[in-house]
Amino acid sequence: MDLSAAQQDALIELLNIGFGRAAASLSQLTGHRVVLEVPHVSIHPVAAVGSVLSEVIKGDIATVHQIFSGPVAGDALLILDHSAAGRLKQLLTDEPPLPLSVDASAREVLTEVGNILLNACLGTFGNILEVNVSFSLPHLNLETLRDLLESLLINREGLRYAMVVHAGFRLRDAEVMGYLVIVLSVASLDLLMRRIEAWEAR
Amino acid sequence: MGSPLSPGDKNLAVSPTLLNAAMLRWLDELSGQGVFITDTDLVVRGWNRWLERFTALTSANVIGRPLLQLFPDLAMRGLAAHYRAALSGEVSVLSHRLHGHLLRMPQSRKDGSSEFMPQSARIAPLIDDGQVVGTITVIDDVTERVTSELELRRQIADAERARLQAEEASRVKEEFLATLSHEIRTPLNAVIGWIKILRGRPVDAATLTRALEVIDRNATAQAVLIEDMLDMARIVSGKLRLDIGTVDPVAATLAAVDVVAPAAAAKGISLRTSISPGLPSIRGDAGRMQQIIWNVLANAVKFTPTGGVVHVRAEQQDASIVITVEDTGEGMAADFLPYIFDRFRQATSSVSRPQGGLGLGLALVRQLVEMQGGQVSASSPGLGLGSVFRIAFPAAISLPPMVEDDPGDVPPLADLIGIRVLVVDDDADARDLTATALAACGADVYVVASSDQALARLLDGTHPAPHLLIADLGMPGRNGFELIELVRKLDGDVARIPAVAVSGYARDQDRERARDAGFNQHLSKPITPAALVEAVLRAIGIESEKGDFRRD
Repeated sequence: MDLSAAQQDALIELLNIGFGRAAASLSQLTGHRVVLEVPHVSIHPVAAVGSVLSEVIKGDIATVHQIFSGPVAGDALLILDHSAAGRLKQLLTDEPPLPLSVDASAREVLTEVGNILLNACLGTFGNILEVNVSFSLPHLNLETLRDLLESLLINREGLRYAMVVHAGFRLRDAEVMGYLVIVLSVASLDLLMRRIEAWEAR
Repeated sequence: MGSPLSPGDKNLAVSPTLLNAAMLRWLDELSGQGVFITDTDLVVRGWNRWLERFTALTSANVIGRPLLQLFPDLAMRGLAAHYRAALSGEVSVLSHRLHGHLLRMPQSRKDGSSEFMPQSARIAPLIDDGQVVGTITVIDDVTERVTSELELRRQIADAERARLQAEEASRVKEEFLATLSHEIRTPLNAVIGWIKILRGRPVDAATLTRALEVIDRNATAQAVLIEDMLDMARIVSGKLRLDIGTVDPVAATLAAVDVVAPAAAAKGISLRTSISPGLPSIRGDAGRMQQIIWNVLANAVKFTPTGGVVHVRAEQQDASIVITVEDTGEGMAADFLPYIFDRFRQATSSVSRPQGGLGLGLALVRQLVEMQGGQVSASSPGLGLGSVFRIAFPAAISLPPMVEDDPGDVPPLADLIGIRVLVVDDDADARDLTATALAACGADVYVVASSDQALARLLDGTHPAPHLLIADLGMPGRNGFELIELVRKLDGDVARIPAVAVSGYARDQDRERARDAGFNQHLSKPITPAALVEAVLRAIGIESEKGDFRRD
């Protein structure tokens, strides 16, 4: 699904509000100035997300996954490759990274960071849509991109779309790229886009 | 109606609500987590057993009271925002690493690792029929995890440190092997090269002198190198034995100066000696003491350019005898100073480096100094600015010092006039060397090539009996050990003839074996004339103390 220039601008502006809120939380939490930027956003059928993400993500990934429900429902994920996850955790905590599989503390920190970002973005959408969105507990999974995509495709009915948001974390003179993926039903996406256009035109 | 759970009753009477309450009580007993709930005003409405146990607050204490009043630090630490977020439907994860803990509870583990129980927590809305009706908080004690992660990090750091050390040791050893082969080959090349020249064509006297000088210098250098390696091997294996006695620091210093003087002169380096009068003795091994000073001096000469100055001082400072060697040479960079006494180290460690040597000399110095209760240190103002080496030994109980009116004076060459020496060596060159060195001191030398010839000479009544026997140990036929054993079993005075063993075996056990067999002294090859003469004097001295030797 192609976004019009106006839709794209409106979506980026809205995401930046959410990212600004998340960056403020992370700055306060870590004592370092954290800047979060949205350089790019695009929307694809879920089945096509794999080819989009595999261009920017290599190797194993760490995913923070939250399910949200309400009038708008779906899956929200923050995806980081392992080196980005390790780097982000080190920048936030000043601890040298260990392999994520043995570092439960690092997994927990990443879960908190992902939770902050996903809450901020979806919370902002909820405000715009004037609906209450409720969230499941976030979970961090270590898996391959392929396994993740398969789990998104299995047992779900109806055509669904994924919003892929590039998220650049900048802190302490370093930049770490992560990817926010929000999977929505056609109806949810349609509602969201209409509300966003209305918000933009207000 | 009786109790709903009394025996005989049908369970039909038990309401689902009651069952739920019973189940919750069980779950509460089993729970390994802290759980509490609030209403939308953040007033505590539930407080589980785990929390009662670890906070020392009973549910009666907390239920009905506002959370932020019970725990005012939640607001101060910015955590109240998570409760506001929960009331708007958001879930929060509070990681231990970024928050430490949610509720302040005493540390269950009394190891002082942290004051409060390390926790992670989740805060979520309680939702009923799409409406937020309160909040629920779940707290995990992560003490175990934090401890095991710390341990893991410590192990990884240890392993990394060990790996780096092993790599460094392996690198240093590889460099050492490269240096070793270079250092062994270089003097050999000179020796072999000159020998080929000398054998190939007639040369004039000046060339011959030069050739011999080169051969002598290189062979000596190689002997020193091998001796250093053997010493280091002995030290490493704990087999180096010291012959501890009273050492005159002045004599040791002067002897070391004598050895390096030719090299300094050849390089145009001014070698200055200042010795305080009346220095007390020190305890140690005289030979090793001289080796220590010699090594430091040789090092100074090696790293000082032509026209430079090497200044050696021996003086008393408080209760120590301090020998200082100061040079105007290359000096050392501050970052190399800590490694200066390490084995196999030189500041430039490639084979093409300008200064030869194995980098063992100073390592030996430190080991030998410390084994004798002394201390050695090095300092340098920087590259190009010279170095100072300081060796300090505790002064021995004050003994009358050796009188040395003119410390710069070299002791006169020993006088062996009238001493009859019988030399046995199957190697003609070695025989000649020994005979020439002794004859130069006035000794009357008779040489033979085998043990049997030596025995014949000793038993031959037609010649005056020799005063001393010098025997090679490794000889075909009857070897030196067998010779001395036979001699010691002979009848008459000849059985007590002082005897010096000369051999290429330089290990301590070889020395001991020679003594056990009946030799009075042992000299390892290559021998210098000075060492030979000294050994002869000692052997004779030992025997004369026994009372039946005198010069005639």
